[in-house]
Order: sequence, then C-alpha cells, then structure tokens
Amino acid sequence: MGGGRRGPDLSAPDTAASFLGEIERALEEQGNLSAVERFARWHEPSGNPAQQKYYRDLLPASLPAPGQQYAFEVDLDRCSGCQACVTACHSLNGLDERESWRSVGLLSNEDWRAPFQATVTTGCHHCADPGCLTGCPVLAYDKDPVTGIVRHLDDQCIGCQYCVMKCPYEVPQYSAERGIVRKCDMCSSRLAHGEAPACVQACPTLAIRITLVDTASTVAAYRGGAAAFLPDSPSPRHTVPTTRYVSARELPPTLAAGDRGRVSPAPAHLPLVLLLVLSQLAVGASCAAPFCADPRLPASAAALAVTAALAAGAFHLGQPLKAWRAFLGWRRSWFSREVIVFGVFGAAAVACAAAAVAAPRMPVRPMLALAAAAGLAGVACSAMLYADTPRAFWGAGNSFGRFFGSVVVLGLALPLAAMPHSARAFTGLSLALAAASAAKLAFEERIRRHRGEGGALLNTELGRTAYLLSGPLAVQANLRRAFGGAGGIAAALAAAGAAGAGFRGARAAAVLAFALVLAGELLERYLFFTAVSPDRMPGGRSP
Amino acid sequence: MSRAHAAGGGPAKAPANSLLRRWSGPLTSDLTLHPGDFGLGKVPERLRPDLTTTSVCGFCSVGCGLNIHMRGGRAVNLTPATDYPVNLGLACPKGWEALTPLESAGRATAPLLRSAGGELEEVDWETAMQVFTLRFRAVMDKHGPESVAWLGTGQVCSEELAFLGAFAKFGMGIVHGDGNTRQCMATAVSAYKESFGFDAPPYSYADLEHSDVLVFVGSNPCIAHPILWQRVLRNPHRPEIIVVDPRKTETAMAATRHCAIRPKSDLAFLYGIARILIERGMLDRRFIDAHTTGFAELSERMRRYDPETVAEATGMDAAALVETAEAIGRGRRVSFWWTMGINQSHEGTLAAQAIINLALMTGNIGRPGTGANSITGQCNAMGSRLFSNTTSLFGGRSFLRAADREDVAGILGIDAGRIPAAESLAYDQIIAAVEAGKIKALWVVATNPAHSWIDRNHLSRVLGKLDFLVVQDMYAATETARAAHLVLPAAAWGEKEGTFINSERRVGLVKKVARAPGQALTDFNIIRLAAHYWGCGEMFRQWTSPEAVFQILKRLTAGRPCDITGIEDYRMLDQLGGVQWPCPAGSGPPVPEGRLFADGLFCTPDRRARFVTGEPTPMPEPADPAFPIILLTGRGTSAQWHTQTRTGTSAVLRRLYPAHVYVEVNPVDAAKFGIRPDGRVRVASRRGELVARAFVTVNVRPGEAFIPMHYPEANRLTHPSFDPKSRQPSYKACAVSLSPAGQ
Repeated sequence: MGGGRRGPDLSAPDTAASFLGEIERALEEQGNLSAVERFARWHEPSGNPAQQKYYRDLLPASLPAPGQQYAFEVDLDRCSGCQACVTACHSLNGLDERESWRSVGLLSNEDWRAPFQATVTTGCHHCADPGCLTGCPVLAYDKDPVTGIVRHLDDQCIGCQYCVMKCPYEVPQYSAERGIVRKCDMCSSRLAHGEAPACVQACPTLAIRITLVDTASTVAAYRGGAAAFLPDSPSPRHTVPTTRYVSARELPPTLAAGDRGRVSPAPAHLPLVLLLVLSQLAVGASCAAPFCADPRLPASAAALAVTAALAAGAFHLGQPLKAWRAFLGWRRSWFSREVIVFGVFGAAAVACAAAAVAAPRMPVRPMLALAAAAGLAGVACSAMLYADTPRAFWGAGNSFGRFFGSVVVLGLALPLAAMPHSARAFTGLSLALAAASAAKLAFEERIRRHRGEGGALLNTELGRTAYLLSGPLAVQANLRRAFGGAGGIAAALAAAGAAGAGFRGARAAAVLAFALVLAGELLERYLFFTAVSPDRMPGGRSP
Repeated sequence: MSRAHAAGGGPAKAPANSLLRRWSGPLTSDLTLHPGDFGLGKVPERLRPDLTTTSVCGFCSVGCGLNIHMRGGRAVNLTPATDYPVNLGLACPKGWEALTPLESAGRATAPLLRSAGGELEEVDWETAMQVFTLRFRAVMDKHGPESVAWLGTGQVCSEELAFLGAFAKFGMGIVHGDGNTRQCMATAVSAYKESFGFDAPPYSYADLEHSDVLVFVGSNPCIAHPILWQRVLRNPHRPEIIVVDPRKTETAMAATRHCAIRPKSDLAFLYGIARILIERGMLDRRFIDAHTTGFAELSERMRRYDPETVAEATGMDAAALVETAEAIGRGRRVSFWWTMGINQSHEGTLAAQAIINLALMTGNIGRPGTGANSITGQCNAMGSRLFSNTTSLFGGRSFLRAADREDVAGILGIDAGRIPAAESLAYDQIIAAVEAGKIKALWVVATNPAHSWIDRNHLSRVLGKLDFLVVQDMYAATETARAAHLVLPAAAWGEKEGTFINSERRVGLVKKVARAPGQALTDFNIIRLAAHYWGCGEMFRQWTSPEAVFQILKRLTAGRPCDITGIEDYRMLDQLGGVQWPCPAGSGPPVPEGRLFADGLFCTPDRRARFVTGEPTPMPEPADPAFPIILLTGRGTSAQWHTQTRTGTSAVLRRLYPAHVYVEVNPVDAAKFGIRPDGRVRVASRRGELVARAFVTVNVRPGEAFIPMHYPEANRLTHPSFDPKSRQPSYKACAVSLSPAGQ
C-alpha cells in the first residue's frame, strides 16, 4: 500500500490530541432517551388489542354450557418446539425471573428405523378433579363453576406445597422467596374480556387454543375407559386433565419422553422428615406409656416429641403465620385431617404428660390410651396424606408400612432405653426391637424387586426409585441399612447382656440401640422423600 | 369486546375476603393484569406502559418488530408488534427476552486496559482512545498498513458498520477487515454474485405463504427462524414441504417429505434432481432461453447424475429421489430456501448455485411463491453485505474496479487514493496472517471468535500472538474480551439508533429505549471518537449521527440494485414498518411485497442469470475407523443465540435448553460405544475433545452425531476446511469418536 494513502497524522504518534469535549458529548448523548418520544407519538392509545384479529378463532365462541368447561387444546402437528409460549407466559404475566407456567417437552420414537418426534407444550390442565384443589388444606384453590378454570388464591396459600405433591403435572410452582406457590389461571382475566391467554396469543404456529370440553365425559373416558391422554406421561386417572393433545397423525406406539432416563433425587424436605419421624416417635412413646410401670417418662417424651414435630413442620411452611387456617380443608384434604388429628394428639399428649408429672396419683393410663389412639389415627392420616398423591413409591402399602413401622420400632426403642425394667421385660423388649428393626429393613428392601435386569427400569416409577437407591442415593441407602442394622444388633446385644451378667452393659446397648434406630428412621424418611420419582409430563433435553 | 364473552362477562368475579378465605391481597395483586392501552391488551399492572415504540429485534435476520413498553422513561417490557409486516405480532423466545441482556451484570461499563501486571484495569475514555491510537499507529508505522486488521459483525447497525468500514479503511488505512458474517452467509453472497450478478436474495417472506411447493435445504426454521415457520403454516395452499437434512429436525418432522441425505452430499442430491427435471422436461424453456446462460453446459454436466449414482452418493432411495424431483417439477410456485446447512460447507457456493439452477431452470423466480432464497443469520448480516466495506466496497461495489472507487470517493467527498485497490483478506486468511506474524494488531467489534471460530483451540493460541488486541463489545467477559489488551465498552441493541436489513431486504429501524450502563458508548460514538483521536475527524465531519450517516448510505446506493434513495428518513421507516430494497427515489410508495427479477432481468452485464456448476469434491474429513462418526453442528433451540453472551443472561431462556453441552447420538451408536442415555460421553476429533451428556435420540442417524454450536466446547472439534469460493468455514461436518466418560 502506498504512502499516499496514509492518514494526516500517521507519522506523528506523539500528537495524540485530547478530545474531552467529544467524549463528554458522547456520554451525554448516551444518557438521553428523547429519540423514543420522537417516534412514540404515533402509537395512539386504543381499546381493542391489536392482536385480537389473529387469535379470535383460537377462542371458543361462547361461555361453557352447564357440564362444560374451558380447556387448552394443543395441536401436536403444529407445535414446532419454539417455546415462545414459555417466554410469553413469563413476560405477559409479569412473572419472576425464572418463572413461567408453560414448558415444552419432547416425545420421540424409541425405534430408530422410524424417526419421529413431537414437541409438547404443557401447562396447567385445569383438571376436572384437580389434585391441587382436593389436597389443599386451606382451600387456596378454586375451580370456577362456570369456566372450570382452576385458580390459586395467592393470599390464602400457606406454602405447604402439598399441591406440588398432589399434581401429577408439576403445575404449582413453589417460590421460596414468596413462600407460596403460584400457577396458571388460563389468563382468566384476559379470557373474561375476549383476550387470549398469553400462550395462545404468542404461539407462532397457532398450536394452542381454548376449547370447551364436556366434563362428565372426560371423567368417564379417563376413569371408566382407557382413553389416552398423552404418551409417556402420568395417568390421567388421578386428576382427569382437560387439556386435549390432538394430532392428525398416528403416533408411534413406542414414543418416549425426551427426558426418559434422566433421574435425579427429589427434594429432601427435612422439616417433613423430622415432622414424620418425631411424631411417630411420640405416638410410639404414648402407645408404650400405658404399659410402663412409671408412665411419666414416656408421656413426657411423647409430649416433647410431638411438640418438636409440629415445630419442625412449621419450618416447612412458607407462610407459617397463616397456618391456623389449615383445618379448613378437612372435608377432602388428608393434610387438614393430619393437622387436626395431630392437634388433638399433641394437646392430649401434653395434657397426659402434665398430669403424669404434676398429679402422680391421677389415673392417667386411660387418658394415655386415648392419646395413643389419637396418635395412631394421626399416623394413619400422615400415611394417607402421602398415599393420596399419585406417586407410586408413596402408595398406601409403603406409607402405612413405613410410618407404622416407625411407630413400632421407636415405640419399642424409647422405653427400652429410658426405663428401668425387670430383666425379663428388658429382654423381651430388646428382642422385639431387634426383630422389628429387621422386619422393617426387610420391608424397605422390597423396592429392590423393581430393579430391572442388568440395570434399573427407568420407565416405571418404582424402577426409578430402585435406581436412585442403588445409584445416586446409594450412600444414604447404605447408611440407612447400617444404622437400622446396627440398631437391631445393639438391641440383640442388650438382650444377650440382660440374659447374662452385664445388665449395666445391656442398658448402654439399649441406649445405643435407640440412638441408632432413631438415626436409621430419619435416614429412611429422608430416602422416602428423595427417592420418589413420579411420572411426569415429557421433558426435553434440558435437565 | 369480542364474541360471547362480552355477554357473559366471563368467569364469576372473585368473592370478597372473609376471615377464613383471602381472595385478594398483596400477593394476589402482584399478578393483577390491567388493560395496557396502545392496542396491547392486558399487561401486568406493575409494567403498564406510559408510551410504546416499535424497534426491530437484534437477534436474527428475520427482523421482527418489537413493541417496547416504556414506563417512567425506562423500557420495562415488550410484546411483538402486531402491525409489523414481518412477524404479525409474534416472536420467538429470544425476541420476547430481548431487553433482559441489557441488565446483565457482565456488561462492560468502562474501558479496560491491560496493565503491566497483566490485569485488565479500568481507564477513562481519554486514555483508552489515546492508547488505541498510539498502539495501532505504532504497529502500522513499524510493519505497514497490512499489519493491522479488524473483525466486525452482523450484529450492529448499518450506520455503525459503515462508519467502522470507512474509518478503518479510509481513515486508518487498514487493508484487511472481515466480519463474523463470513461464518454465516459468505457462501450465499458468492453464489448470488456469480449467478445473479449481485448479492440479491430475491424474495419476500410472503412467498412462504404463496408457494405450492417449499423446499428447505440445510435449514431448520422451526428452531432457527420460528417466525418464518409461522409464515409457512399460514400458507393456505396445502403446500408440499420438502426438507433436505441429515437429521430428523423439527422442520423435517413437519414436512410432507424428508430427504435424509448423507452429510455434505447436497451437491450430488441437487444435481440428481436437476437431471431428473431435465430428463422429464419439467423445465421452463421460455425462461431459460430468454433470461439465462449456460444451460447447455449444465445439461451436459448433469447427465452423469443418474438416480442410481445419486442414490449411492446420498444414501437416499433412488425412487424417493425421483418422486422428490417430480414433486418439484409439478409445482407451479416452487420456492427453495437454504440456510447454514448449505452455507457452512466445503462446497457450499456450488451447492447454493445448484439450488439457484433449479429455480432458474423451472422458471421459479420473480413470481410470488418462488425464488432461490437464502435465509441469512444475523440481524444485520444483510446490512453488512452492503455497508461493512469489507469484502465489497460500499453498496455492493468492488475494490478492484477504479470506477467504483471513484464513485464512492465522490459520494463521500474523499480522495479516491484513500480507497484500497485490493481486496481484503477473508476471516480465515486474517487468522492465518496473525499466526504467520504478518498481522500484529486486531480490532474485534461485537463478535466472539474465541468461541465461534472453527477449531477454536487453534484460534486461542493465535490470538495470543498479537501485539495489540482491541475488543469492542457490550460484555467485558466474552472469551475474546478476556484475551484483549484494550476493551472498549459498547452500548447494546436497545441503547442506540440505527437500521438493520433483514433477510427479505427490509430496512428496519432500531431505537434507543434504554441507557447504556456506566461509560459504555454506542459503537457509532466509539468509532467517531476514534476518528477524532486518529486525526481524521475532518474526513467524517458529516458523519455526525446515525441518521446523518443513513443519508450518506442512501447516496451510496443510488442507481445500484440496492437503491434505497426512496426512503426519506427514519420516520418513514418507522411509519411503514420497514422498507425493502430496492426503493429508488421517485418510484412511488414502497410495495408491500418486494420481489426481485420479476422482469427476468438480472444484474449481470448481459442481464441474464448464469447457470453455474462444478465438480463435487469429497468431504474434507470423512469418517474412518479411528473417528467413525460424522459430527454435525447447528442451532440447539430457538432460545439460544450464537455464543450465548446475550441469551445466557436471561433466567427464563436458560430454562429452555440444557445448561451443559450435550451430544445427540442414535441408539444404535449408543449401544455400540457403550453410551448410556444421559450418561457422559467423550467426543474427540483430531483437534480436540469435550465431554458431553448423551441425548440418545432417533433423530440423528447411526454414524452421525449432533452438538449445538452454542456451547463453547463445540468448536474445539470442528475441522478448519473452507469453501474455496466464499472462504466460509465448513462447521457442519467433521469426524469424531465417541466413548463413555464415566458417570
């Protein structure tokens, strides 16, 4: 390149001049937004949404007739997986930074010779029999009698997250920051004014629309017959979702969710772990108390444990100050029933303990028996609370077995550790504890049956649980076995010690057995929460 | 009010609060919606705008109009603009989240200078500009004008690109400059220039709605350009949709016909189609005779591509090939669309021209629903094609032609001697010159080559050789900025004014709706400052504002195929929702659907289009026993943009794609190499390796794998081969091995 093309000052690097004025001008200009106003004046306020002309046909022409409700309809052939619905829901509803009430998953064929995939947009299905609503202890859900829209009352919510466990579709989303869950209300205030929900108006391919569905026939189709909802998704029997997934194509029979095979531990809910184990300890103690020579200790232990359990439970709530309303859902919610029954049990246990300590002459045994009965009812409510979710691992057998198993082992271990007994009673209790511990461990090991040949069966809930317990949660599972087993062995040693000469050593073994069994039960309950892996709507590639 | 909702009033009003049940309150009202006015429908009460304005989106080349909601002088939300002719009130996730990156904590807020201790430290603009000037000067004084280069972008406004190109070449005297557009559409440029005589994508998006046959080659609009797919689904003619792609993409799923050809066998496939059309006489003879040259040579060359040979080369069934060709031949309005699957390949220009050949021989050009149509990538790739002053001189002119140089010198009022009479090195050649020690200083503007350039491990080593690396970007922490000696903080989209040109040649207006953070300045003002400090402020005395430069750009297009002299000013662009080129002065109001070559007259000297053909060459790095899998790359989701410097800052977008790199593998290969679904896989090529999560899917075929380009690791693997005509890198195919990498 010739020198003739050089700039005017190229040869004089020391003349780098100052242009502070230019810098100031540039920075000042940067802070000035007046240009927006220059062009903004053409945008006149107007009543009707401009977009209405494009989405009008995606809304039903009339309100639902009696027996009908609004429902989403998703055309699987049109959904192209762009996920605009997710961001539009976020933006048009002013949701939190990460929050959106829609997500998009993927179904693809497992048979590689016939490549097929469908992207699936999913949100709240505004179920005919919504699990969130039936589970809510404070009536924070409302199903509109006209539209069928399932709405969440944010100011009523106590943040117990039971709806999160009850909903098979991961719809209610808990915000720790707000201490409540929030969910899709089908943009009901938009619909009320003829505007489309955010996702409907934002879908570039018009894949989402609002239709009217007949509620009774939907219930009949899913609960009476074997109508399909969507491949590789939770059974519609639980809650009868009203969303319709439609396709003109025949879906291959071997469609699998994009996230099949992706299994990770569920939240541990430590306050709930404590609530359950301590309440079961309390019930065990109060069951043991009537049989003890001196009921003061077990009665006091029961009162303390149930108080601690309820306090721990409060830590689970996002809005504990509103929790006094938790009885409201007693007609339908096992959560409410648990609260009520444990309220009664707690009061009775405290009263019994007070009576036993303050008035030793009072005949407390009948009172103790009544309290124990209330406690057992409470444990049944706890078990039903989990059994009433659509999660297979928490089915009635497992929940009742584990929870009452805890009552038994803890109800044996506490009096054994704490009280002077005749050598004979001591031996009997020790042996019973050793046997109960072994039986409970064996009961829990049944889940191993669900491991598939040469690896876990990841397409069933229990298969995934078995996988979690032998894979990602193996350390915790082994610890649980170790503590439970050691507790049982300590109990057996205590029995042996009692039979021999070393009664004092036996007492120490009994205390150790209680500590080990308690730790084992806490671990068992931790695994109860973390190893659950419910069926869910098809996910995508993203974890 | 619409339909029956008006009568019923919708759902029952919420009952009043009672002691036991709270129907309303502070948590409820947080989500209360309110009529937004401005034709918006309901919006969140908290974000109700007091003013709205439309701006063109700053992500991809579709160029959607976004209605920015302003409240108290701040952009608080946006909705896609209903009345914008491109997107009709819809947007992809990136568009919805366009404002979020502006708030990112990673923004560059002050100039940063590498200290003696090797750290990047904040300095003021005065220091930054003096260092910029002194150090570039020092290098140029010592090693000559060819020792400095710049790498630009398709992400900033045309006015800024033009200022950069003019200042760098005419002011500083730099010879070599290129842009990241080399990575996305250089191939289309080369193909159009040779075939049509000008870089001129001929279509309107409305053509997607008019066609009865749509052919997508190496294009996945469902994911890469969702708003164009929206237009396809609005097509009322129940069109045949043919998708040519090795993967069963979302678009392939939605097609009526999927031609899953082997990676990089496009040329054989397209020639095979051409031969069948010729053989069947499914041609527009009248058009061929009147408006093209080279058909005889083409026919001769195509003879070798009989269906059996092509089936062998492409892995496609010969009968299916014939059916595909016949479907194209039967179509009355056939449009052909291609994207990166063609552009990013070792013989992309020939493949693009093979597509153009099909359109020409069947007369599918210049009419509604037709065309050989390149869908480009970045928001202003098309602006850079006309105004970046890199590959071509302003307005699609040539640096090699004295008349063109004088033309430009006259319009700009500069000495023609200041315009280089040589073509710039291409991107890969600039990198090679840096490696060879010939280029010592580099100015990188709004691009992130340390992530995006092919074989990136190599590039990172090369950047370390530079005496002076200036990175001008909105982020201080891009992979490239971290290697810089000087970082100049730039304002982002939304913090400045200017114009973009979209894929359908629509000039659209970008508006300033937010203040840039700290000391960040628009690229326009940074270049303006640099010009002052360099001592050529006088040369650019008319370049006072983006709109002033827009008037200069208009003059640069006068009488050219891309004439925009009919666009009066920014206000006109705003009122009309953008204007397509050409729009010459005096031609009346712009047409709603601009389409080129309706008269059959092309931009070549004889006004005839050229049939251009060549010999297919083997894939530069085929699979072999050591590296038995062909790795394909591409866009992962519509929520991800390029190197993720922007989309990665939105929490809601981050929900929409895997946080870590993943590789799509067919179940057959997964079983063969012992890869578990969701397990970790080591993917290795001759150049590097990465560990990814396995996504086992039938949508890639046995022997092929796919990794999205957005993950920084991806380009450790890619093979640095280039199209010989366009110098565009072939990102789409290289040989890799797969092996399990533990838990």
